[in-house]
Amino acid sequence: MTTESLLVLPGDEIDPSLIPTHKKNPLRLGPGLRHVPPNHILPTVAGQLVADHRKTSLYVEYNGGRYIPSVSDLVIGQVTRSAADLYYVNLNPYTPNASLPHLAFEGATKKTRPQLAPGALVYARISLANRHMDPELECVSATTGKAEGLGPLTGGMIFDISLGLARRLLMARSREAGGIAVLELLGAEGLAFETAVGRNGKVWVGSENTKTVVLVGRALKETDEKGLDVEQQKKLVQKLIKQMR
Amino acid sequence: MPREAEPSLNERQFVLQALTENLRLDGREFDKYRPLELTFGDEYGVADVTLGKTRVLAKTSAEVTVPYVDRPLDGIFTIATELSPMTSPAFELNRPTETEVLLSRLIEKTVRRSGAMDTESLCLVAGQKCWSVRVDVHVLSHDGNLTDAACFAVVAALRHFRKPDTSMEGGVLTVYTPAEREPVPLSWLHSPFCVTWSFYGEEGEIALLDASWSEEQIRVGSCTISLNRHGEICQIAKLGGTPVEAVALLQCTNVALTKVKEFSTFLDKKLAEDAKRRDKGGLMAELSAENDR
Repeated sequence: MTTESLLVLPGDEIDPSLIPTHKKNPLRLGPGLRHVPPNHILPTVAGQLVADHRKTSLYVEYNGGRYIPSVSDLVIGQVTRSAADLYYVNLNPYTPNASLPHLAFEGATKKTRPQLAPGALVYARISLANRHMDPELECVSATTGKAEGLGPLTGGMIFDISLGLARRLLMARSREAGGIAVLELLGAEGLAFETAVGRNGKVWVGSENTKTVVLVGRALKETDEKGLDVEQQKKLVQKLIKQMR
Repeated sequence: MPREAEPSLNERQFVLQALTENLRLDGREFDKYRPLELTFGDEYGVADVTLGKTRVLAKTSAEVTVPYVDRPLDGIFTIATELSPMTSPAFELNRPTETEVLLSRLIEKTVRRSGAMDTESLCLVAGQKCWSVRVDVHVLSHDGNLTDAACFAVVAALRHFRKPDTSMEGGVLTVYTPAEREPVPLSWLHSPFCVTWSFYGEEGEIALLDASWSEEQIRVGSCTISLNRHGEICQIAKLGGTPVEAVALLQCTNVALTKVKEFSTFLDKKLAEDAKRRDKGGLMAELSAENDR
């Protein structure tokens, strides 16, 4: 549960009272913050500082900019090529590739691993992200050995959205906390589709019906570009549904 | 230099599938342009054109120089296109990509070689002095269909441009400042515009107008038709790609003509609006030293 929020600029001092503490759990720093040893925490971007006391985490919420990988983010990547034992996956155009080991899929062995052609899409989690190093991805949970929804994405279409919208879509309660209800509303209109949201500003939409995918894509893009609130999203969905019929 | 990001397999498949079902990703019809906008700068000869998310800025400038030795009676008219890394990281300064070369060639052919501007009127003293008119095209944002947007910007900038008035008396050339004499427009003969078609499908049977960047990346061929509103074709460029039926191309040219007529009226309207905005107090007619032809 987020309790505190405050606007910070890069290099601002963070009031120690805002930093969540816990007896056992260490503090987790999210995107936009940097630990300067020994005991400074500095924001690296301008945005809203969000402290999560339950998870003892602290991060900066900002819209836009370029995606910077951080551990355990869910991302959608595009396979650029395959090497001896890993795939090179592109998360963002014009940035270095991330690597996805061939065996980081559910139940993958040397013989049963999925064969991904260059240009294929994968939904993956970032398992390693250090500064000055190429990030590493995985499509399987290290603890359970299950895919948990990750893996190659077949069919469907991918849409680019802003990083802020991607984060809001990924929130557990995106309607209340993020003010995004467009997918819910489209589902309520009787459209059948599935989505995968990547933290790197990509949404994959899959459906049997091509029209549905186009419609969902347009709704998402318009919500993003015009910064619509829930009421406006309702109107937009009504309008698009009417146009489709 | 980073390479241009290629569309994924899913995107390719999906866009083609959608096109066979008569759908475009942005909900446009196949022969519809994205919203075209044009704003003129405070100075004469600056045109800022946006076509959807594509944005092109053209700036015209003129200076007095010596004409080429082999063409003593002609002025100099050049168009310089520039795709900077600001447009996309795949472009680099001073190292023209194929896109940039094709873009400048097409605009050159459309505007300069079609004789849209009377270059002889730029001559001041035969063999000694002439105007050199230069248009700089800056692509500020690239979301497909650069050719059409850039060509429109060039024509708009040239039509909007005013060069300083001059006079010859006793072998002395005088160039007047705008304060002394109102600058005069270029002698303009016709306004050509580019209309680009993109082809999809195995035999290029699907034709799209004004493809966005994602659509442009997966097309199998394209054809740029330049013409003016009287239907006089300046050039047709179909540079490689899948062969397209001649009848389909004819159909494309017909639609292109209606689009060019729309462009032409739109530009005339915008120019008139701008002239009205500049004509404070209705004194422009009196200030002008220009004679009607």
